[in-house]
Amino acid sequence: MKNKTITAFFIFLCCNAFVLTNTLFAKERLIEVKARKFSYTPNLIRISKGDTVHIRLISEDVHHGFFLDGYNIRTSAHPGQDGSLTFVANKTGRFSFRCSVTCGEFHPYMVGYLVVNPNSRFYAYLFLTIALGLAGIFFQMYKKNNTHPAKEKLFGLIDMDARFELTKFKPVRALFKSRWFPLLGIIINLFIFTVILLAGFFGGYSAGNYNFGIMIVWILWWVLLMFVLVPVLSRTWCMVCPFPIFSDWSQRKMLFGVRTGKLFSLNFRWPKSLKNMWIMNIGFLVTTFFSGFFTVRPLATFVLLGAIILIAYLMGLFFDKRIFCLYVCPVSGFQGLYSQFAMTEIRRRDPEICKTHSPKTCYVGNEQGYGCPWLVVPYNFTKNTYCGMCLECFKSCPHDNMAFNLRPPGTDLLIEKPRGMDEAWKSFIMLGVAVVFFLTMQGPWGVLKDMVRATTWQGYLSFIVLHSTFSLLAFPGIFLAFSYVSKVFSGSKDVSLKKIFINFSYTLVPLGLGVWIAFSFGIILPNGSYILHILSDPFAWGWDLFGTANFPWTPVFTRLMGYLQGITLVIHYAFSIYYGFRLSKQTFATPAEAKRGWIPMFIFLTLTTIVFLWLYIG
Amino acid sequence: MLENQIPNRMRRNEIIAVILVIVATIVTITGVIVVEKYRRSKFYTVELVAREPANGNWYPRKITVPYGEKVRLLIRNIETVNHGFALPAFKVAVNEIKAGEVAVVEFKADKRGTFPFMCTVWCSIRHMEMTGELTIK
Repeated sequence: MKNKTITAFFIFLCCNAFVLTNTLFAKERLIEVKARKFSYTPNLIRISKGDTVHIRLISEDVHHGFFLDGYNIRTSAHPGQDGSLTFVANKTGRFSFRCSVTCGEFHPYMVGYLVVNPNSRFYAYLFLTIALGLAGIFFQMYKKNNTHPAKEKLFGLIDMDARFELTKFKPVRALFKSRWFPLLGIIINLFIFTVILLAGFFGGYSAGNYNFGIMIVWILWWVLLMFVLVPVLSRTWCMVCPFPIFSDWSQRKMLFGVRTGKLFSLNFRWPKSLKNMWIMNIGFLVTTFFSGFFTVRPLATFVLLGAIILIAYLMGLFFDKRIFCLYVCPVSGFQGLYSQFAMTEIRRRDPEICKTHSPKTCYVGNEQGYGCPWLVVPYNFTKNTYCGMCLECFKSCPHDNMAFNLRPPGTDLLIEKPRGMDEAWKSFIMLGVAVVFFLTMQGPWGVLKDMVRATTWQGYLSFIVLHSTFSLLAFPGIFLAFSYVSKVFSGSKDVSLKKIFINFSYTLVPLGLGVWIAFSFGIILPNGSYILHILSDPFAWGWDLFGTANFPWTPVFTRLMGYLQGITLVIHYAFSIYYGFRLSKQTFATPAEAKRGWIPMFIFLTLTTIVFLWLYIG
Repeated sequence: MLENQIPNRMRRNEIIAVILVIVATIVTITGVIVVEKYRRSKFYTVELVAREPANGNWYPRKITVPYGEKVRLLIRNIETVNHGFALPAFKVAVNEIKAGEVAVVEFKADKRGTFPFMCTVWCSIRHMEMTGELTIK
């Protein structure tokens, strides 16, 4: 009895102490932060709202800085000459502090976290996710079975068959039919990438954050891909991509015009066993092994882009058409995968016209346009994944029967054929890479950065092994386990585990895209201002073309970053659980089985979302 | 035969496209290089590359400029850490040259002799070794 009273009293004291220190009395906190290439010690600082914080920044090797996101305050320290900073922690949430003085090649990745408790925005998003998930699944479980599942609307609001044809406007149609259209875009991009390659070559070994090549490719281009090009415009990048222009030119012996008859190439046959995404999967994964070089060393970017252009050209000599783009290009695969979620599509308009039209000029080509270089059949294809949007079919169709449509995002996810293990693994690899990139580039752990930038061979090899194991085996393994539980839960005997696994992997497409968009906020908001500098001085030779060469590094909207990341994840999570249930109904024979089988996958998606929320803002 | 089948307009467009591609690639590359060569020879006396001692130090470490003329140094930091530059004898310095950036230093070579210049930012453990000599004759 006595013991109990003492315990109770002790707990009471502790609670009081907790409440007092955290809320009633704001404290003065003196924090010594040691900076060394490329991390801070401590790398995670927890304080409470209202605290007055004094930061003393000590540099242990070279001149380092300290910029606090959200608060927009900074200091810097030379070795033996400390920096100091005082502020009142009046904004809650997790904020990164980052190095503000170029200190080495990994300088842009030198961050630490400052958590101002209570981290209310993380809990708000956590609550929102769970509430949304529960509401969603409640609705899915108790809604009466629709007799026409195909007629179901997106979130009960938007008709899945709703299309708004953009090419019904005459100028748009004329543009799409003009042979100049993608060509001019390609040539403009060719110019931009020529400058990128030059800057990469001349930039050599120097700091990537002041290099035109690095900044345009890894900050602007990558972020544009994730923000707009893929989620809204499908594979528009492939439409204007300059890499295969030399291959096209050598095959067609023409840039502008259309050569009827055979293309010039050795006409090797691409093996049937490679007509899938596997080469792109492995290629992309292997490319990310070198992320610690490509994203920081101009010369490494030069080598990467140069290799892509060269391989594209060489493959064009051996194989017909765009075999390189379809089956080899490392950035093609994820664009294909995520463009299933895009809000636009190219499709044929009226199937009746195509039925009677012979020969199929969109596939074999005519004087106006080439037969589909991407080897899809424009008169009858159903998902964006393998359509490179080269617009040749618009030109070769004599009936103007091709259309560029606006549509509800993600309708391709419900297309049953073709689906496959290769596309499933693309999803896993993309999520695995997102985790690894976040941990190494936006995380506070110096050990990981040392592994990625290969300070020791052991570290670098273990990074490669861990990264590959996680992306290729561990994450798919967890997914397989949930698929198995799903099969058991559903009670279905005749649906194979493989089918469940593959079908449900498409639920990772909206979520994966959301994860990448949220990740991209962490690239563009802190580092976007570099672009002004490098536009004026692309080769770091002291040029000042537009008068912005001396624009300082200025992170923008860092206060909002956590909110933007949170809402992005939640929105895409909503899409994932919507499509997940639809996919479940496709997979299982009866609605009852579909409902039971959906629950484990729903839990998986919710947990994955929560993990990413925690990673990004928790 | 084939040439005649292609309408004139198509042939004209083809030529334009080829010219545009050449402009985007070969003309851009040569243009950039020629312009930069001209700019350097016209506006700068000496180009000085800044690297930390472990990666090569100042290059060149010994500079010679003629007496009595106005000297413009183009200092390029081609590295991943920030450097500084000071030439105390002529009271010229640049506090910080950011990694990958350039700085220009101007002074009149009105004294004969050999003068030291050095880095002014703690750029590495061997920062103190990052010095060079300027000779005026």
